[in-house]
Amino acid sequence: MNAPDRFELFMLGDNEKKITEKIYAGMSNTSDFILLKEDHTLANLLAEHLKQAPHVLMCGYKLAHPNVPEVFIRIQTDGTITPKEALIEVCKQLIGAYAQLQREFTREYELRKMVSAGNQDQANGF
Amino acid sequence: MDYDAMDMDTEALGPAVKISEADSTHVNFELSNVDLSFANSLRRIIQAEVPTVAIDLVEFMANTSVLADEFIAHRLGLIPLDSRNIKDMPMARDCDCGGHCDKCTVILTLHAKCLGDEIMNVHASDFSVSSARPNQTVGNPIITDPEGLGPLICKLRKGQELHIECMAKKGIAKEHAKWMPTSAVGFEYDPHNKLHHLDLWYETDAEAEWPKSKYADWEDPPQEGEPFDYDAVPNRFYFEVESAGNIDPDAIIQLGISELQQKLAKLITGLGEKSNIDDQYDGPQSPGAMDDGAMYQNDGYQTAYGNGGAQSAWGGGATAYGTTPYGNSGQGGWS
Ligand SMILES: [Zn+2]
Repeated sequence: MNAPDRFELFMLGDNEKKITEKIYAGMSNTSDFILLKEDHTLANLLAEHLKQAPHVLMCGYKLAHPNVPEVFIRIQTDGTITPKEALIEVCKQLIGAYAQLQREFTREYELRKMVSAGNQDQANGF
Repeated sequence: MDYDAMDMDTEALGPAVKISEADSTHVNFELSNVDLSFANSLRRIIQAEVPTVAIDLVEFMANTSVLADEFIAHRLGLIPLDSRNIKDMPMARDCDCGGHCDKCTVILTLHAKCLGDEIMNVHASDFSVSSARPNQTVGNPIITDPEGLGPLICKLRKGQELHIECMAKKGIAKEHAKWMPTSAVGFEYDPHNKLHHLDLWYETDAEAEWPKSKYADWEDPPQEGEPFDYDAVPNRFYFEVESAGNIDPDAIIQLGISELQQKLAKLITGLGEKSNIDDQYDGPQSPGAMDDGAMYQNDGYQTAYGNGGAQSAWGGGATAYGTTPYGNSGQGGWS
Protein backbone atom coordinates (compact mmCIF):
# COMPACT_ATOMS: atom_id res chain seq x y z
CA MET A 1 0.00 0.00 0.00
CA ASN A 2 2.40 2.62 1.24
CA ALA A 3 5.47 0.84 -0.05
CA PRO A 4 7.74 3.09 -2.07
CA ASP A 5 8.00 2.35 -5.78
CA ARG A 6 10.75 -0.15 -6.41
CA PHE A 7 12.30 1.95 -9.13
CA GLU A 8 13.14 4.50 -6.46
CA LEU A 9 16.00 2.15 -5.64
CA PHE A 10 17.85 3.22 -8.77
CA MET A 11 16.16 6.26 -10.33
CA LEU A 12 17.04 9.74 -9.18
CA GLY A 13 14.01 11.76 -8.17
CA ASP A 14 13.37 15.27 -9.42
CA ASN A 15 16.02 17.71 -8.21
CA GLU A 16 18.17 14.92 -6.83
CA LYS A 17 21.86 14.98 -7.68
CA LYS A 18 23.83 11.78 -8.22
CA ILE A 19 26.72 12.95 -6.08
CA THR A 20 27.19 15.75 -3.57
CA GLU A 21 30.37 16.76 -1.79
CA LYS A 22 30.30 18.03 1.77
CA ILE A 23 33.53 19.29 3.22
CA TYR A 24 34.03 17.76 6.64
CA ALA A 25 35.47 20.29 9.04
CA GLY A 26 36.36 17.82 11.75
CA MET A 27 39.45 16.56 9.92
CA SER A 28 41.98 18.11 7.60
CA ASN A 29 41.63 17.65 3.84
CA THR A 30 38.51 15.58 4.30
CA SER A 31 35.28 15.45 2.35
CA ASP A 32 32.16 13.37 2.57
CA PHE A 33 30.43 12.34 -0.62
CA ILE A 34 26.78 11.35 -0.78
CA LEU A 35 25.84 9.16 -3.73
CA LEU A 36 22.12 8.85 -4.28
CA LYS A 37 20.49 5.74 -5.74
CA GLU A 38 23.66 3.67 -5.50
CA ASP A 39 24.69 0.68 -3.41
CA HIS A 40 27.68 -1.53 -2.53
CA THR A 41 28.39 -2.15 -6.21
CA LEU A 42 29.90 1.32 -6.56
CA ALA A 43 30.58 2.13 -2.91
CA ASN A 44 32.77 -0.83 -2.10
CA LEU A 45 34.57 -0.58 -5.42
CA LEU A 46 35.40 3.10 -4.94
CA ALA A 47 36.28 2.87 -1.26
CA GLU A 48 38.65 -0.06 -1.74
CA HIS A 49 40.38 1.59 -4.66
CA LEU A 50 40.61 4.95 -2.91
CA LYS A 51 42.40 3.26 -0.05
CA GLN A 52 45.04 2.12 -2.52
CA ALA A 53 45.26 5.50 -4.30
CA PRO A 54 48.26 7.79 -3.85
CA HIS A 55 47.84 10.77 -1.48
CA VAL A 56 44.77 9.22 0.14
CA LEU A 57 45.24 8.79 3.88
CA MET A 58 41.85 7.39 4.77
CA CYS A 59 38.69 6.27 3.10
CA GLY A 60 35.58 4.50 4.28
CA TYR A 61 31.99 4.07 3.21
CA LYS A 62 28.65 3.11 4.66
CA LEU A 63 25.15 2.30 3.56
CA ALA A 64 23.21 3.37 6.57
CA HIS A 65 20.23 1.11 5.88
CA PRO A 66 19.78 -1.75 3.39
CA ASN A 67 16.51 -0.28 2.10
CA VAL A 68 17.91 3.21 1.60
CA PRO A 69 19.96 3.53 -1.58
CA GLU A 70 22.29 6.22 -0.32
CA VAL A 71 26.02 5.80 -0.15
CA PHE A 72 28.25 7.79 2.16
CA ILE A 73 31.99 7.93 1.36
CA ARG A 74 34.52 9.82 3.46
CA ILE A 75 37.93 10.58 1.97
CA GLN A 76 40.93 12.18 3.60
CA THR A 77 44.00 13.11 1.56
CA ASP A 78 47.46 14.31 2.49
CA GLY A 79 46.71 17.75 1.04
CA THR A 80 48.62 17.33 -2.20
CA ILE A 81 45.31 16.75 -3.96
CA THR A 82 41.75 17.33 -2.82
CA PRO A 83 39.45 14.43 -1.94
CA LYS A 84 37.38 15.28 -4.98
CA GLU A 85 40.41 15.02 -7.25
CA ALA A 86 41.29 11.69 -5.68
CA LEU A 87 37.79 10.40 -6.31
CA ILE A 88 37.74 11.56 -9.92
CA GLU A 89 41.13 9.98 -10.54
CA VAL A 90 39.99 6.66 -9.12
CA CYS A 91 36.84 6.75 -11.24
CA LYS A 92 38.92 7.34 -14.35
CA GLN A 93 41.30 4.55 -13.53
CA LEU A 94 38.46 2.13 -12.89
CA ILE A 95 36.80 2.98 -16.18
CA GLY A 96 40.13 2.22 -17.83
CA ALA A 97 40.57 -1.03 -15.94
CA TYR A 98 37.09 -2.20 -16.87
CA ALA A 99 37.77 -1.22 -20.48
CA GLN A 100 40.81 -3.45 -20.38
CA LEU A 101 38.76 -6.26 -18.89
CA GLN A 102 36.30 -5.81 -21.72
CA ARG A 103 39.04 -6.13 -24.33
CA GLU A 104 40.59 -9.13 -22.59
CA PHE A 105 37.27 -10.88 -22.29
CA THR A 106 36.31 -10.21 -25.90
CA ARG A 107 39.65 -11.48 -27.15
CA GLU A 108 39.53 -14.66 -25.08
CA TYR A 109 35.95 -15.31 -26.10
CA GLU A 110 36.65 -14.80 -29.80
CA LEU A 111 39.60 -17.18 -29.57
CA ARG A 112 37.44 -19.81 -27.96
CA LYS A 113 34.81 -19.37 -30.60
CA MET A 114 37.36 -19.86 -33.36
CA VAL A 115 38.73 -22.95 -31.70
CA SER A 116 35.29 -24.47 -31.21
CA ALA A 117 34.31 -23.64 -34.77
CA GLY A 118 37.55 -25.19 -36.01
CA ASN A 119 36.87 -28.34 -34.06
CA GLN A 120 33.41 -28.52 -35.47
CA ASP A 121 34.70 -28.11 -39.01
CA GLN A 122 37.04 -31.02 -38.43
CA ALA A 123 34.23 -33.10 -37.05
CA ASN A 124 32.19 -32.30 -40.15
CA GLY A 125 35.04 -33.44 -42.32
CA PHE A 126 36.14 -30.06 -43.66
CA MET B 1 42.21 -28.21 -24.05
CA ASP B 2 44.96 -25.80 -23.24
CA TYR B 3 44.36 -22.31 -24.47
CA ASP B 4 47.51 -20.96 -22.94
CA ALA B 5 49.38 -21.75 -26.08
CA MET B 6 47.23 -19.27 -27.93
CA ASP B 7 47.83 -16.51 -25.48
CA MET B 8 48.96 -13.45 -27.31
CA ASP B 9 50.31 -10.27 -25.83
CA THR B 10 48.67 -9.92 -22.48
CA GLU B 11 48.48 -6.37 -21.29
CA ALA B 12 51.23 -6.16 -18.75
CA LEU B 13 49.16 -5.24 -15.75
CA GLY B 14 45.50 -5.11 -14.99
CA PRO B 15 42.69 -7.57 -15.43
CA ALA B 16 43.36 -10.87 -17.17
CA VAL B 17 40.78 -13.40 -18.30
CA LYS B 18 41.04 -17.09 -18.96
CA ILE B 19 37.92 -18.84 -20.23
CA SER B 20 37.69 -22.49 -19.27
CA GLU B 21 34.22 -23.36 -20.55
CA ALA B 22 31.71 -21.61 -22.77
CA ASP B 23 28.63 -22.41 -24.78
CA SER B 24 25.38 -20.74 -25.67
CA THR B 25 24.08 -20.79 -22.11
CA HIS B 26 27.07 -20.38 -19.87
CA VAL B 27 30.64 -19.17 -19.57
CA ASN B 28 33.20 -20.11 -16.93
CA PHE B 29 36.27 -17.95 -16.60
CA GLU B 30 39.05 -16.96 -14.30
CA LEU B 31 39.50 -13.27 -13.66
CA SER B 32 42.94 -12.49 -12.26
CA ASN B 33 45.14 -9.55 -11.44
CA VAL B 34 42.27 -7.63 -9.88
CA ASP B 35 41.15 -7.11 -6.31
CA LEU B 36 38.07 -8.48 -4.59
CA SER B 37 36.02 -5.30 -4.91
CA PHE B 38 36.64 -5.11 -8.66
CA ALA B 39 35.54 -8.71 -9.21
CA ASN B 40 32.60 -8.48 -6.86
CA SER B 41 31.25 -5.33 -8.48
CA LEU B 42 31.26 -7.15 -11.78
CA ARG B 43 29.30 -9.99 -10.20
CA ARG B 44 26.79 -7.63 -8.64
CA ILE B 45 26.23 -5.61 -11.78
CA ILE B 46 25.62 -8.59 -14.07
CA GLN B 47 23.10 -9.97 -11.62
CA ALA B 48 21.23 -6.79 -10.83
CA GLU B 49 21.63 -4.11 -13.45
CA VAL B 50 21.92 -5.52 -16.95
CA PRO B 51 18.58 -4.71 -18.59
CA THR B 52 16.34 -7.32 -20.23
CA VAL B 53 12.69 -7.46 -21.25
CA ALA B 54 10.04 -9.35 -19.31
CA ILE B 55 6.27 -9.43 -19.15
CA ASP B 56 5.19 -6.68 -16.78
CA LEU B 57 1.46 -6.21 -17.28
CA VAL B 58 -1.15 -8.84 -18.14
CA GLU B 59 -4.72 -8.31 -19.18
CA PHE B 60 -6.97 -11.33 -18.71
CA MET B 61 -9.80 -11.53 -21.21
CA ALA B 62 -10.67 -15.02 -20.06
CA ASN B 63 -9.27 -17.38 -17.49
CA THR B 64 -11.31 -20.40 -16.59
CA SER B 65 -8.26 -22.50 -15.75
CA VAL B 66 -7.73 -23.75 -12.21
CA LEU B 67 -5.01 -21.17 -11.62
CA ALA B 68 -5.76 -17.66 -10.34
CA ASP B 69 -5.01 -14.68 -12.57
CA GLU B 70 -2.25 -13.43 -10.26
CA PHE B 71 -0.64 -16.84 -10.19
CA ILE B 72 -0.51 -17.02 -13.98
CA ALA B 73 0.66 -13.41 -14.23
CA HIS B 74 3.57 -14.23 -11.95
CA ARG B 75 4.52 -17.23 -14.06
CA LEU B 76 4.35 -15.12 -17.21
CA GLY B 77 6.75 -12.56 -15.77
CA LEU B 78 9.36 -15.25 -15.29
CA ILE B 79 9.37 -16.47 -18.91
CA PRO B 80 12.68 -15.46 -20.51
CA LEU B 81 12.13 -13.23 -23.54
CA ASP B 82 14.74 -12.45 -26.16
CA SER B 83 16.65 -9.37 -25.04
CA ARG B 84 19.71 -9.58 -27.28
CA ASN B 85 18.79 -6.51 -29.20
CA ILE B 86 17.32 -3.98 -26.83
CA LYS B 87 19.90 -1.23 -26.94
CA ASP B 88 17.56 1.13 -28.78
CA MET B 89 14.51 0.17 -26.75
CA PRO B 90 13.82 2.73 -24.01
CA MET B 91 12.57 1.93 -20.56
CA ALA B 92 8.81 2.52 -20.69
CA ARG B 93 9.04 5.19 -18.01
CA ASP B 94 11.66 7.11 -20.02
CA CYS B 95 9.71 6.81 -23.25
CA ASP B 96 8.04 9.91 -24.69
CA CYS B 97 4.73 8.08 -24.91
CA GLY B 98 4.20 8.25 -21.17
CA GLY B 99 2.54 4.86 -21.05
CA HIS B 100 3.32 2.18 -23.56
CA CYS B 101 3.91 2.24 -27.29
CA ASP B 102 5.57 0.24 -30.06
CA LYS B 103 8.97 1.61 -29.12
CA CYS B 104 9.04 0.65 -25.46
CA THR B 105 6.63 -2.28 -25.23
CA VAL B 106 6.21 -5.68 -26.85
CA ILE B 107 2.73 -7.17 -26.84
CA LEU B 108 2.35 -10.94 -26.52
CA THR B 109 -1.06 -12.50 -26.90
CA LEU B 110 -2.26 -15.99 -26.21
CA HIS B 111 -5.64 -17.58 -26.67
CA ALA B 112 -6.12 -21.24 -25.84
CA LYS B 113 -9.22 -23.30 -25.21
CA CYS B 114 -9.31 -26.99 -24.56
CA LEU B 115 -11.92 -28.72 -26.67
CA GLY B 116 -10.76 -32.33 -26.55
CA ASP B 117 -10.88 -34.87 -23.76
CA GLU B 118 -7.14 -34.77 -23.25
CA ILE B 119 -5.56 -32.24 -20.88
CA MET B 120 -4.14 -29.37 -22.89
CA ASN B 121 -0.76 -27.90 -22.06
CA VAL B 122 -0.26 -24.21 -22.75
CA HIS B 123 3.33 -23.27 -23.46
CA ALA B 124 5.30 -20.09 -24.09
CA SER B 125 5.58 -21.13 -27.74
CA ASP B 126 1.82 -20.57 -28.06
CA PHE B 127 2.32 -16.81 -27.75
CA SER B 128 1.96 -14.63 -30.77
CA VAL B 129 4.22 -11.61 -30.57
CA SER B 130 3.14 -8.24 -31.97
CA SER B 131 4.95 -7.22 -35.13
CA ALA B 132 5.05 -3.56 -34.11
CA ARG B 133 8.10 -3.60 -31.86
CA PRO B 134 11.63 -2.17 -31.84
CA ASN B 135 12.94 -5.11 -33.89
CA GLN B 136 11.85 -8.55 -34.89
CA THR B 137 13.69 -10.53 -32.23
CA VAL B 138 13.02 -8.60 -29.05
CA GLY B 139 10.36 -10.17 -26.89
CA ASN B 140 10.30 -13.59 -28.55
CA PRO B 141 9.95 -16.28 -25.89
CA ILE B 142 13.21 -18.18 -25.48
CA ILE B 143 12.67 -21.79 -26.44
CA THR B 144 15.46 -24.26 -25.92
CA ASP B 145 13.78 -27.61 -25.36
CA PRO B 146 14.06 -30.16 -28.17
CA GLU B 147 10.30 -30.23 -28.71
CA GLY B 148 10.28 -26.46 -29.20
CA LEU B 149 7.49 -25.89 -26.70
CA GLY B 150 9.09 -23.52 -24.22
CA PRO B 151 8.12 -23.14 -20.58
CA LEU B 152 4.77 -24.54 -19.49
CA ILE B 153 2.34 -21.78 -18.49
CA CYS B 154 -0.69 -23.78 -17.37
CA LYS B 155 -2.85 -26.80 -18.16
CA LEU B 156 -6.46 -26.75 -19.33
CA ARG B 157 -9.09 -29.47 -19.17
CA LYS B 158 -12.08 -29.75 -21.46
CA GLY B 159 -13.98 -26.46 -21.73
CA GLN B 160 -11.38 -24.33 -19.92
CA GLU B 161 -9.98 -21.27 -21.62
CA LEU B 162 -7.11 -18.82 -21.26
CA HIS B 163 -7.08 -15.59 -23.24
CA ILE B 164 -4.49 -13.00 -22.27
CA GLU B 165 -2.65 -9.97 -23.59
CA CYS B 166 0.75 -9.29 -22.04
CA MET B 167 2.94 -6.23 -22.17
CA ALA B 168 6.65 -6.90 -21.98
CA LYS B 169 8.88 -4.02 -20.93
CA LYS B 170 12.52 -3.34 -20.38
CA GLY B 171 13.76 -3.33 -16.82
CA ILE B 172 16.50 -4.36 -14.43
CA ALA B 173 16.62 -6.93 -11.66
CA LYS B 174 16.91 -4.26 -8.98
CA GLU B 175 13.22 -3.66 -9.62
CA HIS B 176 12.18 -7.29 -9.96
CA ALA B 177 14.16 -10.53 -10.25
CA LYS B 178 12.29 -11.47 -13.43
CA TRP B 179 14.58 -9.02 -15.26
CA MET B 180 17.73 -10.92 -14.32
CA PRO B 181 19.81 -11.95 -17.35
CA THR B 182 21.55 -14.62 -15.26
CA SER B 183 20.02 -17.69 -13.71
CA ALA B 184 23.10 -18.30 -11.57
CA VAL B 185 26.51 -16.76 -11.08
CA GLY B 186 29.25 -18.75 -9.41
CA PHE B 187 31.85 -16.62 -7.69
CA GLU B 188 34.76 -18.24 -5.93
CA TYR B 189 38.31 -17.50 -4.83
CA ASP B 190 41.04 -19.04 -2.72
CA PRO B 191 39.99 -22.69 -3.12
CA HIS B 192 42.42 -23.83 -0.42
CA ASN B 193 41.15 -21.24 2.05
CA LYS B 194 44.68 -20.03 2.59
CA LEU B 195 43.36 -16.57 3.41
CA HIS B 196 41.09 -17.93 6.16
CA HIS B 197 38.13 -15.94 4.82
CA LEU B 198 36.14 -19.04 5.70
CA ASP B 199 36.02 -20.69 9.07
CA LEU B 200 35.23 -24.29 8.18
CA TRP B 201 33.13 -26.29 10.61
CA TYR B 202 34.45 -29.81 11.25
CA GLU B 203 34.02 -32.99 13.30
CA THR B 204 37.67 -33.86 13.56
CA ASP B 205 39.50 -32.59 10.48
CA ALA B 206 38.23 -29.87 8.16
CA GLU B 207 40.74 -30.85 5.48
CA ALA B 208 39.31 -34.38 5.22
CA GLU B 209 35.65 -33.51 5.66
CA TRP B 210 35.24 -30.68 3.17
CA PRO B 211 35.32 -31.60 -0.53
CA LYS B 212 37.70 -29.50 -2.60
CA SER B 213 36.42 -27.24 -5.30
CA LYS B 214 37.44 -28.10 -8.85
CA TYR B 215 39.53 -24.94 -8.84
CA ALA B 216 41.72 -26.35 -6.07
CA ASP B 217 43.84 -27.96 -8.80
CA TRP B 218 44.46 -24.54 -10.32
CA GLU B 219 46.28 -23.16 -7.30
CA ASP B 220 49.10 -24.45 -5.14
CA PRO B 221 47.95 -26.14 -1.94
CA PRO B 222 49.35 -24.72 1.29
CA GLN B 223 52.70 -26.14 2.34
CA GLU B 224 53.01 -28.13 5.55
CA GLY B 225 53.70 -25.70 8.40
CA GLU B 226 53.48 -22.67 6.14
CA PRO B 227 53.07 -19.53 8.28
CA PHE B 228 49.89 -17.50 7.78
CA ASP B 229 50.42 -14.53 5.48
CA TYR B 230 48.62 -11.58 7.03
CA ASP B 231 49.17 -9.40 3.98
CA ALA B 232 47.83 -11.82 1.40
CA VAL B 233 44.79 -10.73 -0.59
CA PRO B 234 42.71 -12.67 -3.09
CA ASN B 235 43.74 -12.10 -6.68
CA ARG B 236 42.22 -14.91 -8.78
CA PHE B 237 38.45 -15.20 -9.08
CA TYR B 238 36.49 -18.02 -10.67
CA PHE B 239 33.23 -17.00 -12.33
CA GLU B 240 30.57 -19.39 -13.58
CA VAL B 241 27.97 -17.31 -15.37
CA GLU B 242 24.78 -19.03 -16.42
CA SER B 243 22.45 -17.14 -18.73
CA ALA B 244 18.69 -17.31 -18.29
CA GLY B 245 18.58 -17.47 -22.08
CA ASN B 246 17.49 -13.93 -22.87
CA ILE B 247 21.04 -12.58 -23.42
CA ASP B 248 24.12 -14.56 -24.45
CA PRO B 249 26.49 -15.18 -21.56
CA ASP B 250 29.37 -13.19 -23.00
CA ALA B 251 27.08 -10.26 -23.76
CA ILE B 252 25.96 -10.27 -20.14
CA ILE B 253 29.55 -9.66 -19.08
CA GLN B 254 30.11 -6.99 -21.71
CA LEU B 255 26.89 -5.17 -20.90
CA GLY B 256 27.62 -5.37 -17.18
CA ILE B 257 31.00 -3.78 -17.71
CA SER B 258 29.61 -0.89 -19.73
CA GLU B 259 26.91 -0.40 -17.13
CA LEU B 260 29.60 -0.01 -14.48
CA GLN B 261 31.65 2.32 -16.64
CA GLN B 262 28.63 4.51 -17.16
CA LYS B 263 28.00 4.66 -13.43
CA LEU B 264 31.58 5.79 -12.86
CA ALA B 265 31.36 8.29 -15.69
CA LYS B 266 28.23 9.80 -14.19
CA LEU B 267 30.13 10.40 -10.98
CA ILE B 268 32.87 12.22 -12.86
CA THR B 269 30.35 14.49 -14.57
CA GLY B 270 28.42 14.82 -11.33
CA LEU B 271 31.57 16.19 -9.71
CA GLY B 272 31.72 18.84 -12.37
CA GLU B 273 34.37 17.44 -14.61
CA LYS B 274 33.65 16.70 -18.23
CA SER B 275 33.77 13.04 -18.91
CA ASN B 276 33.63 12.56 -22.63
CA ILE B 277 31.79 9.32 -22.18
CA ASP B 278 28.52 10.67 -21.17
CA ASP B 279 27.42 14.06 -22.32
CA GLN B 280 24.03 12.58 -22.74
CA TYR B 281 23.80 10.96 -19.37
CA ASP B 282 22.82 13.92 -17.27
CA GLY B 283 19.63 14.05 -15.38
CA PRO B 284 17.49 11.41 -13.83
CA GLN B 285 17.11 8.42 -16.01
CA SER B 286 16.73 4.74 -15.65
CA PRO B 287 20.00 2.92 -15.74
CA GLY B 288 20.60 1.33 -19.04
CA ALA B 289 18.23 3.68 -20.74
CA MET B 290 20.80 5.00 -23.12
CA ASP B 291 23.10 2.19 -22.91
CA ASP B 292 25.22 0.19 -24.94
CA GLY B 293 25.76 2.12 -28.02
CA ALA B 294 29.00 1.64 -26.25
CA MET B 295 28.97 -2.05 -26.52
CA TYR B 296 27.48 -2.74 -29.82
CA GLN B 297 28.53 0.06 -32.07
CA ASN B 298 31.27 1.70 -30.14
CA ASP B 299 29.73 4.95 -31.28
CA GLY B 300 31.14 7.87 -29.46
CA TYR B 301 32.30 5.76 -26.59
CA GLN B 302 35.91 6.67 -26.69
CA THR B 303 37.22 6.73 -23.20
CA ALA B 304 40.09 9.03 -22.58
CA TYR B 305 41.04 6.58 -19.93
CA GLY B 306 42.26 3.20 -20.87
CA ASN B 307 43.94 3.49 -24.18
CA GLY B 308 41.54 4.18 -26.88
CA GLY B 309 38.27 2.99 -25.52
CA ALA B 310 36.46 -0.23 -25.58
CA GLN B 311 37.09 -1.80 -28.90
CA SER B 312 34.75 -4.65 -28.71
CA ALA B 313 34.16 -7.39 -31.14
CA TRP B 314 30.56 -7.23 -30.22
CA GLY B 315 28.00 -6.70 -32.87
CA GLY B 316 30.44 -5.96 -35.61
CA GLY B 317 32.04 -8.72 -37.53
CA ALA B 318 35.51 -7.24 -37.56
CA THR B 319 37.54 -7.89 -34.49
CA ALA B 320 41.03 -6.79 -33.78
CA TYR B 321 41.96 -10.37 -34.44
CA GLY B 322 40.82 -10.47 -38.00
CA THR B 323 37.38 -11.05 -39.28
CA THR B 324 36.24 -14.45 -38.30
CA PRO B 325 35.18 -16.60 -41.18
CA TYR B 326 32.58 -18.20 -39.01
CA GLY B 327 29.38 -16.56 -40.03
CA ASN B 328 30.19 -13.02 -39.05
CA SER B 329 27.31 -12.98 -36.69
CA GLY B 330 28.76 -11.52 -33.56
CA GLN B 331 25.44 -12.12 -31.91
CA GLY B 332 25.02 -15.50 -30.45
CA GLY B 333 27.12 -16.82 -33.22
CA TRP B 334 28.07 -19.87 -31.33
CA SER B 335 28.62 -22.62 -33.79
ZN1 LIG C 1 6.69 4.22 -25.28
